[in-house]
Amino acid sequence: MSTIEVRKITKKFGEFVAVRDADLSVAAGEVVCLLGPSGCGKTTTLRMIAGLERATAGDVVIAGQRMNDLSPEKRNIAMVFQFYALYPALTVGQNIAMPLHHEGIGTAEIAVRVNKVADILHLSDVLDRLPGQVSEGEKQRVAVARAIVRDPNCFLFDEPLSRLDVELRHSMRGQIKAVLSNLSKATVIVTHDQLEALTMADRIAIMRDGLIEQVGSPHEVFARPANIFVASFIGTPQMNLIEAEFKGYGNGKATVTFDQQDVDLSVNPAVANLRPGRVTVGVRPRAFSVVPEDTADTIDAMAELIEPMGAETLIHARTKTGSDIRVVVPRDKKVKTGEALYLVPDPAQTHIFAEDGKAVRV
Amino acid sequence: MESGTSIWERMGFRKSSGVAEAGWGHTLVVAGVSFIYFLPVLFIIFTAIKPQALALSVPPTLSPTSLFGLIPDQFVFTPTLENFGSVFSRVMTAGGQPEPTGFDRFFFNSIVIASVSVLLALVLGTLAAYGFSRYPLKGNDTYLFIILTTRMLPAIVVIIPVILMFRAAGLSGSYLGIIMLYTAFNLAFTIWMMKSFFDELSPDVEDAARIDGSSEIKVFLKICLPQVIAGLAATFVFGLILTWNEFLFALLLTGPDTRTVPVAMNQAVSSGGRGTDWTLLAAIETLFLIPVFLVTFFLQEHLLRGVTFGTVRK
Amino acid sequence: MSVTPVTSVPRTARTSPALLEVSADNWRLAILVGVVVSALGVAALPASVSFWIVGAMAAMVAAAFVVNAYRRRYYGGLLVTPAIAVLFVMNIFPLLWSLGLSFFAYQSNQQSIRFVGLYNYIKVLTNDIAAPDNWNALINTAMFVVLTVSTQMIVGFLLAMLFAKQFPLRKYLLILVLTPMMLSVVASGVFFTYYYDPTFGILSYVMNSITDGQFILMDSKAGAVAGIVFADAWMWSPFVMLLVLAGLVSVPKYLYEAAAIDRVSAWRRFWSITFPYIRGLLMLALLFRTIEAFKLADLVILLTKGGNDTMTISYHLIRIANEQNKTSEGAAISYVMLFMVIVLTNLYLYLAKRRNREA
Repeated sequence: MSTIEVRKITKKFGEFVAVRDADLSVAAGEVVCLLGPSGCGKTTTLRMIAGLERATAGDVVIAGQRMNDLSPEKRNIAMVFQFYALYPALTVGQNIAMPLHHEGIGTAEIAVRVNKVADILHLSDVLDRLPGQVSEGEKQRVAVARAIVRDPNCFLFDEPLSRLDVELRHSMRGQIKAVLSNLSKATVIVTHDQLEALTMADRIAIMRDGLIEQVGSPHEVFARPANIFVASFIGTPQMNLIEAEFKGYGNGKATVTFDQQDVDLSVNPAVANLRPGRVTVGVRPRAFSVVPEDTADTIDAMAELIEPMGAETLIHARTKTGSDIRVVVPRDKKVKTGEALYLVPDPAQTHIFAEDGKAVRV
Repeated sequence: MESGTSIWERMGFRKSSGVAEAGWGHTLVVAGVSFIYFLPVLFIIFTAIKPQALALSVPPTLSPTSLFGLIPDQFVFTPTLENFGSVFSRVMTAGGQPEPTGFDRFFFNSIVIASVSVLLALVLGTLAAYGFSRYPLKGNDTYLFIILTTRMLPAIVVIIPVILMFRAAGLSGSYLGIIMLYTAFNLAFTIWMMKSFFDELSPDVEDAARIDGSSEIKVFLKICLPQVIAGLAATFVFGLILTWNEFLFALLLTGPDTRTVPVAMNQAVSSGGRGTDWTLLAAIETLFLIPVFLVTFFLQEHLLRGVTFGTVRK
Repeated sequence: MSVTPVTSVPRTARTSPALLEVSADNWRLAILVGVVVSALGVAALPASVSFWIVGAMAAMVAAAFVVNAYRRRYYGGLLVTPAIAVLFVMNIFPLLWSLGLSFFAYQSNQQSIRFVGLYNYIKVLTNDIAAPDNWNALINTAMFVVLTVSTQMIVGFLLAMLFAKQFPLRKYLLILVLTPMMLSVVASGVFFTYYYDPTFGILSYVMNSITDGQFILMDSKAGAVAGIVFADAWMWSPFVMLLVLAGLVSVPKYLYEAAAIDRVSAWRRFWSITFPYIRGLLMLALLFRTIEAFKLADLVILLTKGGNDTMTISYHLIRIANEQNKTSEGAAISYVMLFMVIVLTNLYLYLAKRRNREA
């Protein structure tokens, strides 16, 4: 079975802890993205799975076998490096053929398999060129081709698309996803781009400062962020995170005070167990509906800056005391600068985060 | 959790490929090889601190210490610093008083002549290399090849005309003559090496500086030079090593006042017809080694980076 | 050798001065005057005076070139001139002088000088008495070039492989290996005679205690050659090591990581990844060491004095030119030798370029 399991893995570089007690399991055919800002330990985690770094503590289990002490050669994995790591003196074809030499198959068989992969990734025309003579997008495809040309235990991708321009990135996302879905291997992709993670992954593991903050499906991490960091990291424009005072809970509504206004918000019933105190209210910019008049459920603000984004319009609104709230409304909703906005958050998309930053949820 | 690691691995013998950094185990192996490679030098250094009487003992004495009984007594000698003293002052004639040998002067000569000529070659050669690299002349490659050719002929071919020339100009035995000759001697190498470094630099940065109004001199000093520091260091070290030990030119073109150590060393150890004075030779060489050794050691990091000659493209 | 694109420099269009116009940047006129005055000076005045006249004329021509280059913004010429001037006076001029001498019959201990054309060349290459020695020395030199250079390449390469990784104390061990290169040939050569000495030497001591009888390394040609090659290779392998090491450390680490993931064998890893990075430097090391090996003389003088058929062309040259005072004959030999070195280096450079183009 092609699975990856990482148990309580820790990596220290001297005093610095790069990864702390990370747990992750990837089923066969599943694609998991390690997502996080730079320096969060995601690449280190990937390199420990590959065997390029040695885990300080914890276990790496690939295909049911503990691999801690095995060198990368013995782990039977395929990896795409951030800078592709193409062998500069070999042609594209020779690069792709590199992993096949170990398998002891004949030259003819190697050629057949290289050609097959080259076909899939549209590289047939550049097989005789050197890596220095092909475009950035082609280099990226060569790196992928070199990974998928054999039948490894699992696939690892380190920031595979970070060097491509926006358009190429978009098309490569689709291509890689298509290729991966045919292979049914455990796959780990490291990226700092949430769009990449949301579109390509079956599950996303969000990391910060060496810790895995949340693991879940793209829908889960978007709709039910486990804490403030995940909430702020996933979704564009960023989720509004408003510091507020929690007063009490009744009738399915929580009363919170911010900016000198009391607002009754429909929230998750778990909030009932929360003691009054400081909380953070999280609402996605698209989760507001603009209502005509001021009621107890509304957040009052004034439109300050309007950014048309095509199909939608992003409004930067300001409350009385100056808190900034981002609201996205459909294009046909006309708002003028200086106009007063009465905003009702969608209860399903309103999150209360307790003082420790964790989401309060059933 | 570290149960899978054997003692072997913990000592640094990692099973994995060339990916990881090597540990103390590798150090042990390299130390063994380096020590064997260094042995002839070590023997010279040990000879320098040997009593003169033991220089040609059979079996040869090999070590100033028995290393806690590891080395049999017959190979051990008692170290002395006497030989270093006799480099500078010793009894020249039987029964006479110790006389100064003039070696302080010869060391001074070696240091002045080698450092001035290498630095001069570095300045002129770097300028020329910059010219060859940035403002190629017609037949640039031909010029460069002719410059390389000057290093292909044995010194003896150049030396007869040079002797005649120096004699005519009154430069024989002067600092100026030998320094100019050594400068020329180092120029070919300097130009080739520095040119390959300048070739590697991206001209974009320089053009940007020009657009910002920097003069050509500023572009060279502020933009280009700082980028080739490693190359300068490497060139300096190579030039120094070659010039420091140069023998033939020095033998034929230096006078009593400008004599360098290799020449004086040759004379000191074979004078008097008593055969080689081993301990004296070893003492001179040991002292003579120290300056280049220190320079090389301190410029080592640059040396490694600089020595690529720009032939390695990243 | 790669030629960098010319950086754009604004050049003011200034016309060159006419040949006879007296102007500081009229280098043509300066050359003309310089040649005429020098010729007159050399012909009419004693050598001690004419040397300085020729020098002054050379300085005048150089100054004219500099002014010309500066006025017309020929920065290339301006930058190159000082170095070329030094090289010309100290190297190229003596070389041309000795090239000229090779067409004359001249002995440095005699006054007479006579133009003989190619006679010296014909003599050193074909004369029944002189030529066999020359050819023999040339063949020996070729043998030494092949043996010392290949030994240095192999030893230097293996040493570099050892130092390619990062490990504790690397810096201190590296300097140990570099030290032989820093020794004066006089000292190390003399000490090698000691190491090889049949009575007192370490080598004989060890050999005698292993085998019975007296071991004398320098007794046979093979032994003498081995002794010289060993000493030379020991001194100069560190140079090759340094170059190869520089190549090895410039290989990006991620390539080796990729190779580990791709399960590439050590053999294939070396030839596909490592070797391309050090090829250029190996070529350069080969070039420099070959040029130096052709000049091998000092170790031979110190170790065998040319005995046991170990005479090299450079040592032979020293004997002919310096000890026997046959200056012009020596010059002829050295130009035959220069011709061979040039052919060989061009072959190297050609091969290096071709491989680069293939890669």
